[in-house]
Amino acid sequence: MRAVNLIPEEQRGGGAIGSRSGGAAFLVLGLLAGVALLSLLYGLSHHKLESQRAEAESLTQQAQQVQAQAATLAPYVSFMAMREQRMQAVAQLVASRFDWSSSMGELSRVLPSNVALTSIQGAVGAAVSTSKTLAGSAPDAAGTVASSTPPGAMPTITLSGCAASQSVVAQTLVRLRLISGVSAVTLQSSTTSGSGGAGGSSGGSCPSTDPVFSVQVSFNPLPTPSAVSAAAASSASSAPDSTAGSATASAAYTPAGGVAR
Amino acid sequence: MTGRDRMVVMGLILLAVIAGGWLLVVSPERKQAAQQEAQVASARAQLQGAQAQAASARTAETSYESAYTSVVNLGKAVPPLQEVPSLVYELDQASHQGDVDFNSFSSGGSSSSSSSSSSSGPLSSSAAPAASATPAAFTQMPFTFVFKGSFFKLARLLGKIDGFAQTASGGSAGGHKASVDAGGVRVNGRLVTIQGVDITLEGGGHTAGQAKSAELTATITATAYVLPASEGLTAGATPAGPAGASASAATSAAPSSPTSPAVIQGAP
Repeated sequence: MRAVNLIPEEQRGGGAIGSRSGGAAFLVLGLLAGVALLSLLYGLSHHKLESQRAEAESLTQQAQQVQAQAATLAPYVSFMAMREQRMQAVAQLVASRFDWSSSMGELSRVLPSNVALTSIQGAVGAAVSTSKTLAGSAPDAAGTVASSTPPGAMPTITLSGCAASQSVVAQTLVRLRLISGVSAVTLQSSTTSGSGGAGGSSGGSCPSTDPVFSVQVSFNPLPTPSAVSAAAASSASSAPDSTAGSATASAAYTPAGGVAR
Repeated sequence: MTGRDRMVVMGLILLAVIAGGWLLVVSPERKQAAQQEAQVASARAQLQGAQAQAASARTAETSYESAYTSVVNLGKAVPPLQEVPSLVYELDQASHQGDVDFNSFSSGGSSSSSSSSSSSGPLSSSAAPAASATPAAFTQMPFTFVFKGSFFKLARLLGKIDGFAQTASGGSAGGHKASVDAGGVRVNGRLVTIQGVDITLEGGGHTAGQAKSAELTATITATAYVLPASEGLTAGATPAGPAGASASAATSAAPSSPTSPAVIQGAP
């Protein structure tokens, strides 16, 4: 049996809608699909935008509440800041002092027995320009406090007295270098009163044959704030003991006058 | 126009419509969403910062008592006023303990010079700090005092004076009992910085051995420190709370141990 097409020949156009509408149906379908896709994308974006807007609003409100809570406690924070600043200032002043007591103790240990002193004048001089000048300055951002012994200042002790002989004076110079922290020992004068020296001004009870001397002992500059902070941060065990320093110095001392430095 | 050409034209129209819709409607919305995302991130960061700030504030609140105690203790080393009587008393006590004669005390003098000259001025017991005004946080209060004693006793006295206030890692305060630790600084008395020491022998020279017991005169130039007048000891803070703290915050920071009010009962 054979199938027979009953449609007239001129009306057979392929049968498709597209063919019949000249492609307009595809255009409409495409437009509908495009609009649907665009609507979907727009909806997603809009939803995301609204949810983010709400989230931002919520976060801002929360932040404002927390900030308000923190603001009520702000005096505590400022008090703690004041305490920290004051503590640092005091610790800095404490740590930047020169240890007169141990220096005097070491002086008594290193001085030869046949030397007599008539006066000891110690002073902490002005700050040397190894770092920024801190003397008399206002506290800066690092919390530096104006100390009467500013960081970088060089302590000096001037000794006046008499010795049994000039060689003893020389020995004294060498031994004074054994004091821990000493950077230089300078002989200012050493004269016998018989030769018209300054014996009378230094000590009236010195024998006339003994040389009268004046020696200046200079110490290392006082620590800077950064060094003080580092020292404060380190443990107490890292601080050199004056006794240990003296023992080391004594070991380095040689009777011939050579000092290992 | 053939059917194929029509299809191409319609495709182009379709593409144009979709592109226009994208550019005019969807893209601005997406751009706004991206901007809003940045705002959310910013708000989140702001919240985190505020939370950290609040946490820090709460930590400060909880540790207020100890901080207040340490500030008060530091006030013993650096008081808000000159407090000359207490300074003299402390020096006198130290000299007594060290068997040294406390000969004289005078205020004023150079704050950084090594000179031992004492430009004496009137000593005010608790007046506002008037000495050597420096722009520093602490006002310097230079003074000069004279002690008499043997060399070693004087040397020990210098150590005692340093021990009035020293770092916690420092050695013993030399007999001071009321040592309080104020945040790494051990406070036994006034913070004093010794600038100059002038030791002279009375009656001529001695050998080093003899000098141990010889009478020496030590003129010491030193500086004490005073808190700025604007701050005061605690900057207006009380044990209950700092100045400006709200009542609720102050109440929560108050000592947890309740103190019952004193009741006086009179017998008929």
